[in-house]
Amino acid sequence: MTQSSAIRDERQQRLAAAMAAEGLDVLVVAGNPWRSDYLRFTADVTPMEGSAVAFVERDGTGRVLMESAVEAARIAAEHPRLTVSASAQLFADAESLVSDLSARKAALAPSAAMPYRLAIGPLGPTLKSGTALLDRIMLRKSPAEVAAVRRAAALADDGYAIFRAASRAGRREYELVADVEAYYRSRGCPENFQILGSGGIEVRGMHPPGERRLARGDLVTTELTPCVDGYYAQICRTLVLGEPSAAQQRAFAVFREALEAGVAAVRPGATSGDIARAENEVFRRHGLGDYVTSEYTRVRGHGVGLYVDGAHLLEDMTLVLEPGMTLIVHPNTYHPEVGYIVLGDTLLVTDSGCEVLCATARELFAEPA
Amino acid sequence: MRRGLISWSREEVAEQVLDARVARLQERMKAEGMDAVLAYTAFDRPAAVSWLTHFVPYWNEALLAVFPSGAPVLLASFSKRVHPWIREVCHVGEIIGAPALGRATAGLLKERIPGASRIGVINRDGIPWPVAEPVAGAVPGGALLDATQMFAAIRQPADAAEVRLAEHATRIAVHAFDSIPSSATKASEVLASMERAARLDGAEEVILRIAPDLANSAVLRRMEGDTALGSRYALECSLAYKATWIRVTRSLGGAPQSWEAASEWLRETVTTIDEAGIAAGPTHRAAAPGRLDAWTLEACVDSRPLTLMSAGGESETARAASAGGALRAGSLATLSLRLDLADGPWLASAPLVVGATGKAARALDPA
Repeated sequence: MTQSSAIRDERQQRLAAAMAAEGLDVLVVAGNPWRSDYLRFTADVTPMEGSAVAFVERDGTGRVLMESAVEAARIAAEHPRLTVSASAQLFADAESLVSDLSARKAALAPSAAMPYRLAIGPLGPTLKSGTALLDRIMLRKSPAEVAAVRRAAALADDGYAIFRAASRAGRREYELVADVEAYYRSRGCPENFQILGSGGIEVRGMHPPGERRLARGDLVTTELTPCVDGYYAQICRTLVLGEPSAAQQRAFAVFREALEAGVAAVRPGATSGDIARAENEVFRRHGLGDYVTSEYTRVRGHGVGLYVDGAHLLEDMTLVLEPGMTLIVHPNTYHPEVGYIVLGDTLLVTDSGCEVLCATARELFAEPA
Repeated sequence: MRRGLISWSREEVAEQVLDARVARLQERMKAEGMDAVLAYTAFDRPAAVSWLTHFVPYWNEALLAVFPSGAPVLLASFSKRVHPWIREVCHVGEIIGAPALGRATAGLLKERIPGASRIGVINRDGIPWPVAEPVAGAVPGGALLDATQMFAAIRQPADAAEVRLAEHATRIAVHAFDSIPSSATKASEVLASMERAARLDGAEEVILRIAPDLANSAVLRRMEGDTALGSRYALECSLAYKATWIRVTRSLGGAPQSWEAASEWLRETVTTIDEAGIAAGPTHRAAAPGRLDAWTLEACVDSRPLTLMSAGGESETARAASAGGALRAGSLATLSLRLDLADGPWLASAPLVVGATGKAARALDPA
């Protein structure tokens, strides 16, 4: 049995049990290339283009409607257990199939990606409960899922080494990403979410690659999020072109301390708010409390798994951590002396604490300019 | 979800070009009595907003509100720190930070056009419910109008700027194919070289599907992991440059005479795609060197990068997904097809500019 089929079988068993517990016959699951997590979990389908709606039976069979004919042919070839068809009026046809379900107990999911046409239909009232059912079983990863996240974390480390080697003065930001993406395709990794930033004190965040040429003295930040068997892991690191200045080293030390505090807070029973608070308190102790607000930073970390941006780590969040959850802790923010710095590692919540899955040193790397 | 270069060159797409596109939509809105048209943008369906403003999201979501006059407003779920970047890469009026996108849009509509009831949404049926629900709640009667067909009616033909971008995208794709090492024995080697070459040339997005062994299957697959290449394989490169999407598909791994004949036939066939023949697709079928198993004609007519306009051949799947739409002369389109030759399948795609009735279409790929 391959690793991929082991994951698939585990997921199907958990899904079947959850559906049986709720008395559900069918789950109607929507998705697209960005939000494919629920589709991947329930039907093992990841669209490359266009939307898809899957009607997933408790026994793992089902029907998938897809907007793209090429995608429908691909999914049909890859999944003989599914009945796959393309539709020019995807949501209208899905609505019609939903009407055919009237005698059976069904629910819609997920809220984030549910199309308007289906949400206003007869199954609309089931959207919250259908999504909650999947969220409950998707948050805690099975051993096979954890293994996939672990492999993705190793790939994140490897990809960052490529990024470091690519970062040289005179190269444009998009050329760095070209090197990383080529590397990932060479490793059989089909997806990677990556943003970056380069420059000095004027830089307030990361963005998709632009035409800016890297220069000596630049802080170059990036987050890499590669995918293995559908599961994402993320790494965030900062490097300097040339020798880091004393100010850059001083600033980075705060981020390392904040990451370590955040990681130390990760244990079963802690909340996502606890972790964010642990990171932010470090900044406050260093007189940098202003820079952990929403004016300078989005989140202090988030869940990772079948989706790149899961439950957020913010001080007012109350998600209770459980063993098997996977997340990234990253105290990324602006530092008033030097600019934007990122540092983050993917973790697995264990029975007693956590395991750090990224192996790259938590250093402010210095690359030759 | 792998964004490459996102940038805006005013030399490539002048502000006046974008203004003219918005004006085209506004003229139609006035004719149909629309109070506002909303265009949602996210990673997988950026095309309506990008055509109107040049904005392409690299993650998250946004919504463009177009009123019958004035510059459109972009409501963006992105952090305010990202707004300077948004300003750099697109041409809009106001940018409003909107973490709760639907609620913010509803608020904007109530403020700008209180009591308005004719709110159209491009690709309305697919808008995510968390965005759609509050917006529908802001409309008397709660009914959002589907503005997809209205937008499609004005989206094509392409203006000169868009055709130039499509030409550039095609050149990038062709150059990427030229980069494939002849010694490649694994899919990963082919995909890696395509990806590097395309992105170094400035591709915004690259989607690769591969049929690694045409002797076994002609289905174009997504590659998770790796596999050995057969002696003949096919690769589809879907590529975006500055928000303009094309597809180039090549069959590779040899140069049998049958493939030369197929390429020659394709070159002639592409020129037959005129505005009167969109539904019928490629002509000269009798002259094809093999059975025409499947063909599709795609174009950008709404929020999706490419929509299936017509299809034919043996494939029920392609026919079912065909929108059955029309395209005017000057529209950008991509013809994709599969021939069943005596010695196996042959796949190809060619981007083109649709010809006027009776006039030749223009292929963008010189091959």
